[in-house]
Amino acid sequence: MYLTADAVEWTLAQPMPDPSIVVTGASLTPFNRRKDGSGFRDWAFEAFTSALAMSGLVPGDIDEMYLASESDFFSLQLNPASILASEFGLHDIAATRCEGGGASGQIAVHAAVRAISSAAARHVLVVGVDPSASSLSGDAMRELYGFSFDAWTDGMNGVTATALYALSYLAFAARYGTTDADLAHVTHQNRTNAGRNPGAHLRRSDSLAEIAESPIISNPYRRLHCAPLSDGAAALILSRGDVVPPARRGASRVAGIGASGDHMHLGARRDPGMFQAKTRAMQRACADAGVTPDRIGLAEVYDAYAGAQLQGLVGLGLTEKPGRDTASGVFAADGRCPVNLSGGLMGQGAPVGATGVAQTATCALLLEGRYHAELQPDRLPDYALADTHGGICTTAAVTILQRGRA
Amino acid sequence: MVSHRLTLDYDLHPGWLAPFVEGLVAGRAMARACTACARTSFPPQRTCDCGETSADWVALSGLAEVRFRTRGADGDFGLVAFEGADTLAVVALDGLSDGAKTGHILASGGPLARMAVGDLENRAAP
Ligand SMILES: [Zn+2]
Repeated sequence: MYLTADAVEWTLAQPMPDPSIVVTGASLTPFNRRKDGSGFRDWAFEAFTSALAMSGLVPGDIDEMYLASESDFFSLQLNPASILASEFGLHDIAATRCEGGGASGQIAVHAAVRAISSAAARHVLVVGVDPSASSLSGDAMRELYGFSFDAWTDGMNGVTATALYALSYLAFAARYGTTDADLAHVTHQNRTNAGRNPGAHLRRSDSLAEIAESPIISNPYRRLHCAPLSDGAAALILSRGDVVPPARRGASRVAGIGASGDHMHLGARRDPGMFQAKTRAMQRACADAGVTPDRIGLAEVYDAYAGAQLQGLVGLGLTEKPGRDTASGVFAADGRCPVNLSGGLMGQGAPVGATGVAQTATCALLLEGRYHAELQPDRLPDYALADTHGGICTTAAVTILQRGRA
Repeated sequence: MVSHRLTLDYDLHPGWLAPFVEGLVAGRAMARACTACARTSFPPQRTCDCGETSADWVALSGLAEVRFRTRGADGDFGLVAFEGADTLAVVALDGLSDGAKTGHILASGGPLARMAVGDLENRAAP
């Protein structure tokens, strides 16, 4: 059938949907080791209801849901997306679980962005949750995490995540000349930030002496260089620009997303110390957002270990001198580009599936000026970066948010 | 709180990795040499970085040079270069002497096929 002239005019006269994607809701539960008898369904529900209240939407407005949860081993609950959708009263929507190791949460954010970009949905809920601290013993978690790399090589060798990260960092340090003092600086900075975050798991400021004397897990990593595993949840509601409730029109928006992978075997990479997947993910996100890394005014960087933050800063293009720029305060709370104001994984903690969702939610709250008062910068930057990865940066996913216009 | 113990007995099948796994059990480093570009990977890669999927299984000498080593409460592990391989490998360092720069692949003792490297004199009998 051919369109008549009238029909063409009618088609063109339709208002175009606003393609921007706005963070209408953002919420995190406290991250810690729960001892109050609550479970992952409680934390997920708390994060969801809080994000929904912030958005001004009602459950019937939500078109789709993406759930990030790393492993059934932690929760002993297969198909958790359907369980949580049911608990949220969202029986009739598409609920999909996203899993990419430590990157699960950011992958879920990206899935939600694409659902809106493709016009399949207007309002999308993203929830991340894992009971990573309280459900299994530390030894059981360590063994399971060994199988989160190639199970037939690294897993069966008995190599731990800490040992793999240590080997990657040693290769990085050989190239960049970073030292134990740089690891201590990152540790001290992130834990000091966490001390001002009432929802953080490790609310303490480790002294340089305490860091230097903590037990060696895999040299150069000592216990205090490692992020804790935590319980907790985070939620986001993303909305298409033209259907944002009036009260949320000034909220931050998704400027760009990017993701990439790297070889699963550390030894097969051209340089096992470089987080090249992060570089590719960042390049894609920057191209999507139309910005360069120097426009990023604050970042939540995936610091599973102190050295991983230094490797991440280089991989993201935020510095070529990671030790010097960290020591000189570029990434400090009052620096040019504060990194991990939340305390990062090292201070705020890591309920694994929640991590990427929480990092993005933190960036959104900071850009709106409604983060924890002691950590909220006076001057709001234009762009913030949430950086998440799984494996030894085998799966990288980053999201750039732009401050909204009030 | 409800305590629950789950015991799982897996039967895992190595599939295309069978020569690699059988090699570890016997203390042999079985690598994959790409038929297109000759790049040799250990642990083996199914698809070469050049894109080729066809490859030959080749037995390396088992000698490995330690590039990076990490030790602590989690054990002793290294990123090592096996003689004849174009990739590095993450291995367990089982009793490798302090300061040793080279070692030899060990026959995997336990139920899991481990990539482990130890001192030369502890190598499996050929
Ligand atoms: Zn090839």
